[in-house]
Amino acid sequence: MNALRIAWKDLKFLLRSRTMLVMSLLMPILMMLMMGYIFPKDYSDTSVKMGFYSEDPLFSLVAIPKMAKSGKVVVYKSRKEMLDALAKGQIAAAVVVPKGFMQNYTKGNATLEVIPSPSNPQAAIMISKMAASFMGREGKSEEKKVKVKLVGVGGEDFSYYQFMAPGMMAMIAIMSVASGLAASITRERELGTLDGLMVTPISRSSIVVGKILAQTVRGVVQALIVLGTSMLLFGVRVHGNILETLLLLILSTFSFIGIGIIITAGIKEQETAQLTMMTITFPMMFFSGVFFPIDQMPKIAQYISKIFPLTYAADALRKNVVIGSSIDLMTFDITVLLLFALLTSVLATIMFPKLVKE
Amino acid sequence: MKAIVVENLKKYYGKVKAVDGISFEVEWGELFALLGPNGAGKSTTIRVLTTLASPTSGRAFVAGYDVVKEERKVRKKIGLVSDKLILYDRLTVLENVFFFSKLYGLSDKEIYERAERLLKMLDMWEWKNMRVSKLSTGMKQKVNLVRALVPKPDILFLDEPTLGLDPHTTRKIRDFIKELHQEGVTIILTTHILHEVELLATKVAIINKGKIVAMDTPKSLKNLFKEKEIVQIEYEGDLKIPSGVKILESAEGYLKVEVESLEKFLHDVTGQSVRIINVKSFEPSLEDIFVKLTGGEAA
Ligand SMILES: Nc1ncnc2c1ncn2[C@@H]1O[C@H](COP(=O)(O)OP(=O)(O)OP(=O)(O)O)[C@@H](O)[C@H]1O
Ligand SMILES: [Mg+2]
Repeated sequence: MNALRIAWKDLKFLLRSRTMLVMSLLMPILMMLMMGYIFPKDYSDTSVKMGFYSEDPLFSLVAIPKMAKSGKVVVYKSRKEMLDALAKGQIAAAVVVPKGFMQNYTKGNATLEVIPSPSNPQAAIMISKMAASFMGREGKSEEKKVKVKLVGVGGEDFSYYQFMAPGMMAMIAIMSVASGLAASITRERELGTLDGLMVTPISRSSIVVGKILAQTVRGVVQALIVLGTSMLLFGVRVHGNILETLLLLILSTFSFIGIGIIITAGIKEQETAQLTMMTITFPMMFFSGVFFPIDQMPKIAQYISKIFPLTYAADALRKNVVIGSSIDLMTFDITVLLLFALLTSVLATIMFPKLVKE
Repeated sequence: MKAIVVENLKKYYGKVKAVDGISFEVEWGELFALLGPNGAGKSTTIRVLTTLASPTSGRAFVAGYDVVKEERKVRKKIGLVSDKLILYDRLTVLENVFFFSKLYGLSDKEIYERAERLLKMLDMWEWKNMRVSKLSTGMKQKVNLVRALVPKPDILFLDEPTLGLDPHTTRKIRDFIKELHQEGVTIILTTHILHEVELLATKVAIINKGKIVAMDTPKSLKNLFKEKEIVQIEYEGDLKIPSGVKILESAEGYLKVEVESLEKFLHDVTGQSVRIINVKSFEPSLEDIFVKLTGGEAA
């Protein structure tokens, strides 16, 4: 009986906060919609291309001209050119034909190295199987002699973890900001210290900027822990410039903070603020290509993915970590992230005093 | 220029008229008390005056500055001790004092010296490196006062500064407030304790249901009741109420009245054939003042 009383009190408590109620109803709906949309449709995209770069002069002479004729293969003159194309998403997999390939081929133990696209390793793995069949065109009976080996950019064995880690880093940075802000702003409000800050003669923007700085540090540190553990325990390698990795992480964290401040300043209760944050960050996690490749989502989901800063953050970080691309290949991602960050921060600074004042 | 000018100030929360058209003025150096029961609108008034809430209508000036249009100038002049503690519980006493005071642009040396003086006045100096979370309610409130005072506010707002404190701490804090007042700080104090007003205030406004029902010096307000006394008696039998008596409360065998003279009243009553069980005479309570001033029930 008393258990029922307590249960009823708890439910009533929930019903009394309108935002809380709306969020509690919205959350499951969003989740189910999401689940319906993000899962890959049948992968039958025939437009994807494979990149080829040959280190074997004999192969270049014999096979390349023929392959270039089939529409599915793009041949590159340098390794870097091919990797850039991979980063730009022009090809779904980069195939490296190693030195002495033709010799080994005749001996029957030739190996092709395939670097999957960082944004969609699954698809790359599927089509890499086709790489062998391209070879087969020469002598159909000997198809089986070509082995395909999935590798990372440094020639190391392919690991899914390597492809996931950059997105995870960005995600954890953003999630930590989301929960950190919900805790810091609403908690200060509930405790009364926010009043204390608001009656001091400092500019309102220094309050907002201070919060942004603290949360960025927190987010970046957490992301670096993800990076550290994945490097030490799972052999993840950062192929790009590590300084650029750090800058991208800071930018990723920064990109979400403005939105976070607006939400938490607008919501009075800590619990409601946290739930609201979750309702935003949870779909973001799935739509932003961290776990499921965006290419394989239905069109609607692909459009939705574009509204989340995490999508761009994860993309840029993957290019940096997995392919080792230079910053100029991420201009678009970086521009979008910067715009996100600046616009929302400015908006947050303008709105904050109004949201906090009664 | 007056320290505070409030003109027909209103603050509504939806349909709730928290403050419903109040006007008052506070001179520099005054200790002005806002006296009222729970929900009267005291805190709301303080929140508007300290720029934490915007008024629904009306105007208010603090230190000559408009609380809506010149928020920042107002903030430079004021200190706030609100009903919620303005202290970070994971920071130490001194860390809190330094953090807030630095926002007013004080030098480290200045802060340290003032903090030392004020904390010593309240016997809190030995706790200076303790985390606030480890202090008792009364100790926290003392630190909270110091936190508000180190930046040298010209006008100090104290929203029920002795709420929930034991008699000893309460006295300590009242003495401290008195001392500040003597040093020349203008103080706005809210309370629901009449006694506190008598002890401290130079002027008092009684507020009820968002409206000021009386405003005067505590002395003249009390004089309003001084000639009269309040008596509460319990009795058995038929009591004829003597003339010149105002009934405040009455029930079977119980009477609470306001009388011109206690002596005459007792004489009149004991002359009747009733058995008196208990008689109590006391100073008018806040509630009695409301009954008298508003002619209705207290909040
Ligand atoms: N944030 C708010 N939202 C809605 N109503 C409010 C809010 N703050 C105060 N009120 C209402 O305004 C009225 C006055 O409240 P206020 O806190 O000013 O009273 P008070 O005189 O300080 O009382 P107390 O002695 O209990 O502190 C109350 O009826 C209260 O319900
Ligand atoms: Mg109050």
